[in-house]
Amino acid sequence: MKTLIIGLGNKILKDDGVGIRAAEALKEHISQRDDIEIMELSVGGMRLMEIMADYRRVFIIDAVMTGNNPPGTIYKLTIDDLGQSLHTSSTHDASLACALEAGRQMGINIPSEIIIWGIEALEVNTFGESMTPALEEAIPAVVGKLLKDLVPAS
Amino acid sequence: MEKIVIDPITRLEGHGKIEIFLSDDGEVENTYFIVPELRGFEKFCVGRSAVDMPNITNRICGVCPEAHHMASTKALDALYKVEPPPAAKKIREMFYSAFYVTDHTTHFYALGGPDFIVGPEAPAAERNILGVIKKVGLEIGGQVIDCRKRNHHVIKMVGGRAVHPNAGLPGGWSKAINEEERKEIESIALKNIDFAIFSLQAFDDIVLRNKEYLDLVLSDIYYHRTYYMGTVDENNCVNFYDGKIRVVSPDGNEFAKYDAKDYAQHISEHVEQWTYLKFPYLRKIGWKGFVDGPESGVYCATPLSRLNAADGMATPKAQEFFEKFYTTFGSKKINGRYQPVHHRLATHWARLIELLYAAERMLELIRDPGITDPHVRVIPAEIPAEGVGSVEAPRGTLTHHYWTDEKGVLTKVNLIVGTTNNYAPISMSVKKAAQSLIKKGQVIEDGLLNKIEMAFRLYDPCFSCATHSMPGRMPLQVNIRNSSGELVRNFERKG
Repeated sequence: MKTLIIGLGNKILKDDGVGIRAAEALKEHISQRDDIEIMELSVGGMRLMEIMADYRRVFIIDAVMTGNNPPGTIYKLTIDDLGQSLHTSSTHDASLACALEAGRQMGINIPSEIIIWGIEALEVNTFGESMTPALEEAIPAVVGKLLKDLVPAS
Repeated sequence: MEKIVIDPITRLEGHGKIEIFLSDDGEVENTYFIVPELRGFEKFCVGRSAVDMPNITNRICGVCPEAHHMASTKALDALYKVEPPPAAKKIREMFYSAFYVTDHTTHFYALGGPDFIVGPEAPAAERNILGVIKKVGLEIGGQVIDCRKRNHHVIKMVGGRAVHPNAGLPGGWSKAINEEERKEIESIALKNIDFAIFSLQAFDDIVLRNKEYLDLVLSDIYYHRTYYMGTVDENNCVNFYDGKIRVVSPDGNEFAKYDAKDYAQHISEHVEQWTYLKFPYLRKIGWKGFVDGPESGVYCATPLSRLNAADGMATPKAQEFFEKFYTTFGSKKINGRYQPVHHRLATHWARLIELLYAAERMLELIRDPGITDPHVRVIPAEIPAEGVGSVEAPRGTLTHHYWTDEKGVLTKVNLIVGTTNNYAPISMSVKKAAQSLIKKGQVIEDGLLNKIEMAFRLYDPCFSCATHSMPGRMPLQVNIRNSSGELVRNFERKG
């Protein structure tokens, strides 16, 4: 079973594209790895859960808005960190945590390891292809951290 | 004056906020449904090639990229004055029907349905798809997942990509369907019909046979007499992909019927100081405020509206349920068409009838011998200037309007997205629900708040498209302020 890396967000909404841009940057480093797949997605909830099915482990790279830290701050999160609620408000259908639990109950093979690399964003409500400089600078750092996670087991 | 804030709204795309202002005696004085707007879209588009728009606009929304892709592709047809070949039109509509099946299924089982299946009084933590599974069983949950999976497969096969389709081109579609694919899609469409009928039966069993729920559907809280908009075919039946825009009055008479390109003659937009979003209304009636009735230009564009605006459904089984729908509500036929149903919670039922229509239409199209014709594109040869494209998005009539120079470079862009049509009706529904459910400053219980949320959830609203930053806020926050604006009480609903 493969590892899936998802660059999540929207490339035309300024900082919301940081996850996709980081995934693109990561591609160059792992082109030789046939045990890893990279996807760029703008979906949440049920759709995201369905896409993750049957992978051994999944890494999601996405913009995060906590407002508590400077733009570009990198977080390593688990699904549990996304909120205690099973229906947080960010998606049309169900939260990711809720969708994953529903998937498990329905016998879908949900990865046992799901890690979210979050990057604190500043501007995600304005259309544009440029990002806040601090987020541009965060991309090599988050790529480096992910590469450490992806070191093949010896 | 007390002020109640619900922020953000649970299970709604993007972060919205409802502010409910109470008077000194605790009655609801006013409500504001405020949503963040994505800024700078026109600026982003101007100077780009119009042919890129189907692949730009499908990124506006993570929920309905297929709808934007289709409206945009049709706008390009108009811009380049090119008529797609018959096979391309059939493929587009068939593809779009598969999208409708997934979208309406998701809404019923994951977003709107939990209110009924789990119950409006159930704790918030249970009113989600997990609660639905618990109530109706794992097998049905599995059917929902299977339905989504097989139709996403069709979307990917026909639309080029799983999430953001890219097959739409001015003058056609990038890829024909071969016989092997046709057969596979046919078997999927057949399964969709069974699933839609099953879902309608479930609605019958769970909602219509439950007096408490039926009373809620019929209650005055969720009742508004407005104009209704929807796209109809040449027989005035519902069509999602193409036709004329029809508007009917609250008493059911045809008020207007026009080509999408003429939308600006019929629709104006009202501005309020408290929100960035505009409120579309019927130009010939005028904006009279957030009020019901034939003298108010407020109109609604939802599954319920589409049924109300049409004379019937174009497929046989959906037509049977259409008849049942109107007779159940006691609607009489006048001049050959049923009077509109104004009970807004009936939108959930109307959505399921549309689900069945989408499934049947998908089968009809995939069985059309012409759909495998390899001729799926006419190359544009005209000089572009201006084009309008419109489809029925699941959330309402979606219009894309582009202006370009002679090289096809965009000079101006205007979009009226599905939910925007419904901004005024949603605001009215929220206010009415709040007025009916908050009396004399009564302490707000979870079920009560949910009934207010139900007032907008039935519209399946999708305001702040495509912002997928991981959430860092509480799912529900309620602030009550006194008449001086001081916070006197604070609630946080953690789910």
